[in-house]
Amino acid sequence: MKRREAISIGGSVIVGSILFSIWESCKIQPGTNWNPVFFDAKQAALTSALVDALLPKTSKPGGLDVNADVFIDRVINETYSDADKKSLMDEINEFDQKCKEKFGSYFASLSNEQKRKCLVEMESTSPKFNGKVWGTGVGEQKPVGFYRKFKSMAVWAYCTSEAIGKNELKYDPLPGGYHGCVPMSEIGKVWSL
Amino acid sequence: MVIRYNCIDLKLRLYRMIYILKITEVIKIYLIDLFELKRFYMGFNIDAKKDMTYDAIVIGSGISGGWAAKELCEGGLKTLVLERGRIVEHIKDYPTANLDPWDMSLHGSLTLAQKEKHYKANRSGFIGEANEHFYANDQDNPYTEMKPFLWIRGHQLGGKSLLWGKQTYRWSDLDFEANQQDGHGVDWPIRYKDIEPWYSYVEKYAGISGEALGLPQLPDSHFLPPMELNCVEKEIRSRLEKKFPGRNLTIGRVAHLTEPLNGRGKCQFRNRCDRGCPFGAYFSSNAVTLPAAHATGNLTIRPFSIVQSILYDENKNRATGVRIIDSETNETMEYHARIIFCNASTLSTTQILLNSTSTRFPQGMGNDSNELGHNLMDHTYRVGAMGSFDGFEDMYYSGRRPNGIYIPRYWNINEKTKSDKFLRGFGYQGGAYREGWGGAANRDGFGADWKDQISTDAGPWQFFITGFAECMPYHQNRVYLDKTKLDKWGQPTLSIDAEWQSNELALNNQIQSDAVEMLNACGLQSVTGFDNKHEMGYGIHEMGTARMGKDPKTSVLNSHNQIHSVKNVFVTDGACMTSSSCVNPSLTYMAITARATHFAIEELKKQNL
Repeated sequence: MKRREAISIGGSVIVGSILFSIWESCKIQPGTNWNPVFFDAKQAALTSALVDALLPKTSKPGGLDVNADVFIDRVINETYSDADKKSLMDEINEFDQKCKEKFGSYFASLSNEQKRKCLVEMESTSPKFNGKVWGTGVGEQKPVGFYRKFKSMAVWAYCTSEAIGKNELKYDPLPGGYHGCVPMSEIGKVWSL
Repeated sequence: MVIRYNCIDLKLRLYRMIYILKITEVIKIYLIDLFELKRFYMGFNIDAKKDMTYDAIVIGSGISGGWAAKELCEGGLKTLVLERGRIVEHIKDYPTANLDPWDMSLHGSLTLAQKEKHYKANRSGFIGEANEHFYANDQDNPYTEMKPFLWIRGHQLGGKSLLWGKQTYRWSDLDFEANQQDGHGVDWPIRYKDIEPWYSYVEKYAGISGEALGLPQLPDSHFLPPMELNCVEKEIRSRLEKKFPGRNLTIGRVAHLTEPLNGRGKCQFRNRCDRGCPFGAYFSSNAVTLPAAHATGNLTIRPFSIVQSILYDENKNRATGVRIIDSETNETMEYHARIIFCNASTLSTTQILLNSTSTRFPQGMGNDSNELGHNLMDHTYRVGAMGSFDGFEDMYYSGRRPNGIYIPRYWNINEKTKSDKFLRGFGYQGGAYREGWGGAANRDGFGADWKDQISTDAGPWQFFITGFAECMPYHQNRVYLDKTKLDKWGQPTLSIDAEWQSNELALNNQIQSDAVEMLNACGLQSVTGFDNKHEMGYGIHEMGTARMGKDPKTSVLNSHNQIHSVKNVFVTDGACMTSSSCVNPSLTYMAITARATHFAIEELKKQNL
């Protein structure tokens, strides 16, 4: 146990110092109040800003409330191959560069109206995902590009977070039976699981 | 998070389950079942005696090996089950069974290291954080794809019976007579009447749910009540059966209990089967056959036992036992028995036989015909169509049904339905569902309103069907040992050299065009046909390579699954199959195994073995 405690204290010190440096860097990159493990500060700021633009806080929690941005950064870090990481990195930078060319600034620093315009355009130009059969897309999938991929990841991170998955979606870990035709009004919300 | 559950004992795990079951809301159910499950908690006898001669050795503990163990033990034989992987005890070793997405570090995704460990199996799309521990390590267990072939392995007690799709269909004489009718492969040495009582026998114990249709090409099983079709499936069924007389749509026939059976609980519709079912509601060796074998007191299981070869006595003209390598210590040792059942899985069984050479059998045990390793088959996979359904927007469903719909074969079932484009046939699996939040990324919009609709708009109904076509037994589709590529235990690895031929591709074309035609005719919108061009292996129904037959010159096994030339060795897993049908094979493995074990017990009594 002692060793564990030592590690945990050591960890806190390290995390503490990282948080401090992040705090410092936040002065340069507004909107990034977390410690990315994969993204650089500019990409992290874009990630948070995109999550917030897609999934803003309403009467229900927003994407940032459930740390969808932090989760996306960690998932990419832990699950993407080096090649996939590099191509995603390129796509992110390209996305932000286009924002800058079109609106004069990187996405995170745009006004809300400019962000909306940017995403409206993305929405209309991004190909969609093919249907899936048992978890795998069918047919030949056109590359969906960074926006659609990110939107999908943000929805997934949001809906599989505990706060949303348990409280905002309809959660029933043990249905006990299957009923094939139930009025939507009786269920009320979209199934979580 | 996952590791945490490995450390706690069964009692704590049950407490956690009860907590998760939200007792206050669902008190209506199954606490009694839950506590009854305790009786499955067992310490298997894993103290295999080296010097002892067992009555029987069973190689492998998956679907067919579990049945062999149960029947042989219940027949009074002291039985040693050799399992290549670790022990997986029912309930106790299902660490992820009750985890929600947020309980898992990556909400279900595989880490990069896990993807590398499963670099082949990951192609299937079925592996995630919740079931990764039931898939074999592809790095430690290499094989060579002379042509692309996906070989999925489950190296643990229970094998792939923990991971299978549970679709269970009887074969018919349309299948058992197919080779004889069109001249491909060799004739099966058995017919439906030979196996029919054994289907009944295993179905009553395994528990199969489904709907009786009385179709000659897809005989009915002894059914537990069927699972329910949803609104859209019911509607499409009535439209389809009206527009296409002779085609049927029914609920999938599955090895899931819809009523409690022999102390096992019924399905709770969680659809978390591939993590292991704590209710024992679906058929697995771990929940069903191995506990029964254990209860006789005749069962010994030796884990971490890679069977290197079957030992042959040239004087007595019989097998005497097996040589194994302990996968943890690398120690080699021998176990002896009067009869040996090979149930290592189709390709692993053949690998062992090919590696069992002697003066009498220089090309592998029982390989007088030179057919050992040949005639590898599978079913084609992920070819079909999908579309969206307008209507029933105010309807939804409750429960996560681990099952879909089935459209039985309708081509080449009689003179009227003969095709001039292909031989044999196919069936479809599929289902209707609402997109739910998974479809939100494809829906136009973003921001406050769009976001808030994620939890209130279940999205459109989608419907898909995907075909499974029969594959012919081709001599050139084969596996063989590569003695230049050794695994970490110094054993020759398998090379797989097989591909679809023109008949399978013609069947796939028909699958897709029929699917598009049917979905359009049933009023679905935006109907899209698809063909993922999966190579062999994706169906995970590998069959053949040690086929049954009437003639020792052209087959490896006789009508009772004995090796023609080594009568005390039986093969009753997928390797024994003479043709592939278009329906899922596992129920037939169960029936063939039960039949062969009872024959073996009788032969032992008569002192013929």
